Amino acid sequence: EDAGNCLATVLYPKKKSRPVVSIKCSHTKDQKEIQEEDNRFYQRIRHQSKPITANNIPDSYGNIEPALEPVWALAVAGSSSIMWEKSTESLSYFLAQVKSVRQWIRKDDFVEFDYTVLLHEMPTQEIISCHMRLTWLPGRPLKVKHFCASEGHGAQEGSGAESGSAAAPSAEEGASF
Amino acid sequence: LDLWKPLLPEDIRAGEDLHIRVPASLVQEVKDSLDQHVISYRVLIADVQKLVDQSMPRERSSHRQVSGGYVYTEYHPMEEIYQWMTQIQKNNSELVTQHFLGKTFENRTMYYLQISQPSNKTKKIIWMDCGIHAREWISPAFCQWFVKEILQNYKTDPKISRFLQNLDLYVLPVLNIDGYIYSWEEDRLWRKSRSPYENGTCYGTDLNRNFNSSWGSVGVSFNCSSDIFCGSGPESEPETRAVAQFIKSKKSDILCYLTIHSYGQLILTPYGSTTKPPSNNEELMQVAKEAAAALTGKYGTSYRVGSTALILYSNSGSSRDWAHTIGIPLSYTFELRDTGTHGFVLPANQIQPTCEETMLAVTTIIDYVDKKYFPNGQVVLTSSSLGLSLCLSI
Repeated sequence: EDAGNCLATVLYPKKKSRPVVSIKCSHTKDQKEIQEEDNRFYQRIRHQSKPITANNIPDSYGNIEPALEPVWALAVAGSSSIMWEKSTESLSYFLAQVKSVRQWIRKDDFVEFDYTVLLHEMPTQEIISCHMRLTWLPGRPLKVKHFCASEGHGAQEGSGAESGSAAAPSAEEGASF
Repeated sequence: LDLWKPLLPEDIRAGEDLHIRVPASLVQEVKDSLDQHVISYRVLIADVQKLVDQSMPRERSSHRQVSGGYVYTEYHPMEEIYQWMTQIQKNNSELVTQHFLGKTFENRTMYYLQISQPSNKTKKIIWMDCGIHAREWISPAFCQWFVKEILQNYKTDPKISRFLQNLDLYVLPVLNIDGYIYSWEEDRLWRKSRSPYENGTCYGTDLNRNFNSSWGSVGVSFNCSSDIFCGSGPESEPETRAVAQFIKSKKSDILCYLTIHSYGQLILTPYGSTTKPPSNNEELMQVAKEAAAALTGKYGTSYRVGSTALILYSNSGSSRDWAHTIGIPLSYTFELRDTGTHGFVLPANQIQPTCEETMLAVTTIIDYVDKKYFPNGQVVLTSSSLGLSLCLSI
């Protein structure tokens, strides 16, 4: 389901750093509905007796368990921050698969997940494995720390703060759904 | 009433939307009652059960949609595809023959299917291969679907029966068999073949960089650990050699070369190694645009059309470029669904719509080839065919 349309201009600086993105989004999905979905999911995670863990989202056949869709959506949102940092004029990325996810139970209100995500890099066609630590509270910026394994280049670490939603893309990200 | 919005009856407010799920047997009664009370409504979901079924991750072995038949809307491992080929030939022996093409590095047999309507006419050939990259599972799924569609409809579909009078279809359902099996058993996102390099410390050549078309010049790596490793030389890999040898041997009869990949929703024309357009670029683009339009007409899926070097990235050694340079005029790479949301791991519930729309694109191209080289049943002398051709009128 489309949550909205975004139009962005992306500038790649000559020296290596994040591309500069200016973006405008129009929401086609009801904002309140998005908030409600986020809250429902947030409440469900908070009331878990056991931390959520899962592997291979989607599985080899492309299936995502409906209960895990928001976990996947958070991964998409979080990995877009990794992609933002790594993208250059000649390198682009997509999320190929969530290899594993593990929830860390926190005493405060935040929800925290540890992910291994696989990014598809173009045009090299490589699959880059990244470790991602993501903290989330609905309505607050998504906090993402990441560490990507990279053959021959040395591993790259980074972190960022973005708003994110389990139910919809946010204006700051421009992730395409 | 099964309240979906709001969740509790006490939260129902006048003037606000109410969403309810109505059991199938009561739909008419509810509609009548709403009409009686002059309450306007609209149906949001016509069949809830259908949505539930679609969203459930299914065990592979549970449903058989066609009793005892092959399920084309699931992904199949190589063993099952081998069995399928045998069955297809057995059940359609008047039209289909299975042929040996060569062996993979791990010594597995590569077979292609020849769909040929018996006749005393000499036919020209359309070649299509799938699964050159292991992780692109929707590709072999499409080749299987294509064969099934042709065999199911050739007697009743006028377009298909027309072109089968003049054209033989050669389909290679899985080119990179070793890689495909590896993606089922070990690494779902594997791309290359499985030939070892560097004393067995590194595996696989990108078969679509291994063909003899500006080999090794651009968009490749000479490092085996790269996913675009082009091999130790042009046609260094047995899979590449098997395909190349065969196509070379038949090249005067092959009018069209199609190679199916995912993902990206693109129809790509030559070349990848240079932006210099091929001699018949206008024709290639025109036909591709028609094919893309036919595809979009089905479900609205949009495809982009253009040369690899211009709309994707530079690369050398691709099978499609090679096919064009040896003289096959219409040579295309298809990149099927989607555009990155699921990427290589396309859900099985998209196999059917993807295959249906792609079928329209491919048959548009075959149709064009048929009408161009066999207008009104006459055989047109091509520059590479020898001897007299008889004019046949329908």
